[in-house]
Amino acid sequence: MHALEDVSLTVDEGRFVALMGPSGSGKSTLLNLVSGIDRPTEGTVEVAGQSLGELDDDELADWRARHVGLVFQFFNLIPVLSALENVALPLLLTELDRSERRRRAETALRIVGLEHRLDHDPGTLSGGEQQRVAIARAIVTDPDLIVADEPTGDLDARNAEATLALLRELKRGFGKTVVMVTHDPRALRFVDEAFHLDKGLLLEGEEAERAAEALRIAAGGAAAASVPRSAG
Amino acid sequence: MKYAGLVWRNLGRNKLRSTFTAGAIALAVLLVCLLLTMPNGLDALIRDATNNTRLSVHHKAGLVYSMPASFTRKVRALDGVAAAVGQVWFGGAFEEDGKVTFPNFATEAEHFGAVYPDWPISEAELADFQRYRDGAIVGRQTAERYGWKIGQRVTLRSTVWPVSADIRIVGIINESRIPSLYIRKEYLDEALKAATGNGLGVVGVIWVRVESPELAGPVMAQIDEMSRNSEAESASETEKSFMSNFFGSLQGLARIILLVTGLVTLCIVFIAANTASMSVRERAAEIATMKAMGFGRRVLFGTLLAETVLLSAVAGGLGVSLAFGLTRALQTFARWSDGLGPLGNFYLTREVVLQGLGLSLAIGVIAGLVPALSASRKPVVEALREVF
Repeated sequence: MHALEDVSLTVDEGRFVALMGPSGSGKSTLLNLVSGIDRPTEGTVEVAGQSLGELDDDELADWRARHVGLVFQFFNLIPVLSALENVALPLLLTELDRSERRRRAETALRIVGLEHRLDHDPGTLSGGEQQRVAIARAIVTDPDLIVADEPTGDLDARNAEATLALLRELKRGFGKTVVMVTHDPRALRFVDEAFHLDKGLLLEGEEAERAAEALRIAAGGAAAASVPRSAG
Repeated sequence: MKYAGLVWRNLGRNKLRSTFTAGAIALAVLLVCLLLTMPNGLDALIRDATNNTRLSVHHKAGLVYSMPASFTRKVRALDGVAAAVGQVWFGGAFEEDGKVTFPNFATEAEHFGAVYPDWPISEAELADFQRYRDGAIVGRQTAERYGWKIGQRVTLRSTVWPVSADIRIVGIINESRIPSLYIRKEYLDEALKAATGNGLGVVGVIWVRVESPELAGPVMAQIDEMSRNSEAESASETEKSFMSNFFGSLQGLARIILLVTGLVTLCIVFIAANTASMSVRERAAEIATMKAMGFGRRVLFGTLLAETVLLSAVAGGLGVSLAFGLTRALQTFARWSDGLGPLGNFYLTREVVLQGLGLSLAIGVIAGLVPALSASRKPVVEALREVF
């Protein structure tokens, strides 16, 4: 049994897309493939002209360090490091010196609006702030691709919207390609495109329309009014 | 070096646990360092306490067998021999103790000073030893232990001969490391004649002083050749060799203690390895995140291993410092207090310092190897799946 079956999709550079679907639909597996965390048993994954299947484990890790920024549901910040040090962590894999690493980490935290929280430990930050630190960490290396796995899953409504808005801003302001896995119907208001998966299959046509409609109903109210039509 | 901050912060994550682990490693290093000073300490002790012109001559079969007293005179007549003194174990028990608590011998007073010219005893006291038939000289260690003064009378009951010796302290050998007491051989001889009708007629050990160190070998060969095929064949050896054999049992004990300490160190390795495993397990989510971010196997392995190595190195430095401080303190106190005796000879050499630090690093590497290897080798997708 395969987690994904005959899935073929293309995400254009500078787009903000969502992978949606019920639990077990294969969306996280697809995200892992796109981000070079996992390898397909069949088929190919190509990101920014690089076929990921050609890289061995060490090369893949190096590729992720240079080209991918990751945002997780539970933030996954290192509790013994300050916000600034957490953001600067991926820069340890570069040749940058200490002062340049600090400068870039400060810039990333300024972008997410946390320039006043540089020296705070993660434990002293709110959930929304922690997620913004995680996003700053994801963009600090100036990656081509940002992948976010349920980034609003552990946030309240206000912080979830702020996080989605921030991810959209990364696309708009910095031209980043953002691929996000989410259950959150509010996400449809922020993304350019949503792909729906179910039981390892990428839904297309009427099936995709029905899935999007179900999400619109789930979102309800004012949120539903601004939900764009999803791509199949 | 750029990962040093990350390594250091991770060590401080659970300060109590890190402190206890470092304490255990430091203690093991301290113990090993102190034990490693023992062979050097014993060597120094023997070196200080022996003279390279003095020889020991005893029965080939062992110290419990005696040789004819006349053999001393033959040895004394040999070329190259400056002096020789025959001695016999008296085995006297001080009446208040009821058992032998310090070594005591019957010796030839008129030859004693010539064989031990390096021992600190005044000529006047040596003269008194020769003058008084019941005279005795005693090492400062034993004199101070019992509060004996010159002129004081002491009774020793022999556990070897059927006599007691009512002696008078006439001299103190002013050296804290010498516990021995010497009575006159004539006194024992006469006491035995009175008690049994037979005199002494034997010696246990003949101490010989040769004219120069290079004569030691030829004189020993001459002595042993002289007694060949007799009823009491002799075995000659230098004083250093004699003392080394005497302390041989202590070195054996040191080896046993070293073995036990080695096993304790092994236990510390397991404890440190368990600590490292727990630390890695608790941070599984963080390690998985770092892998996903692009931290490769080598970097993760290196930083995780560096944590245990750094902790062990710090602990090793502490252990070596404690050992250094302790041995220096013993050396200092030994100058003030004779009660510490030979402990003042135990000092930390550069080799022992390096061995202690090397041991701590080895503990760190061995303890951290398996947890670091297993965490770094786990595929990133598997690591993420386990924790999210």
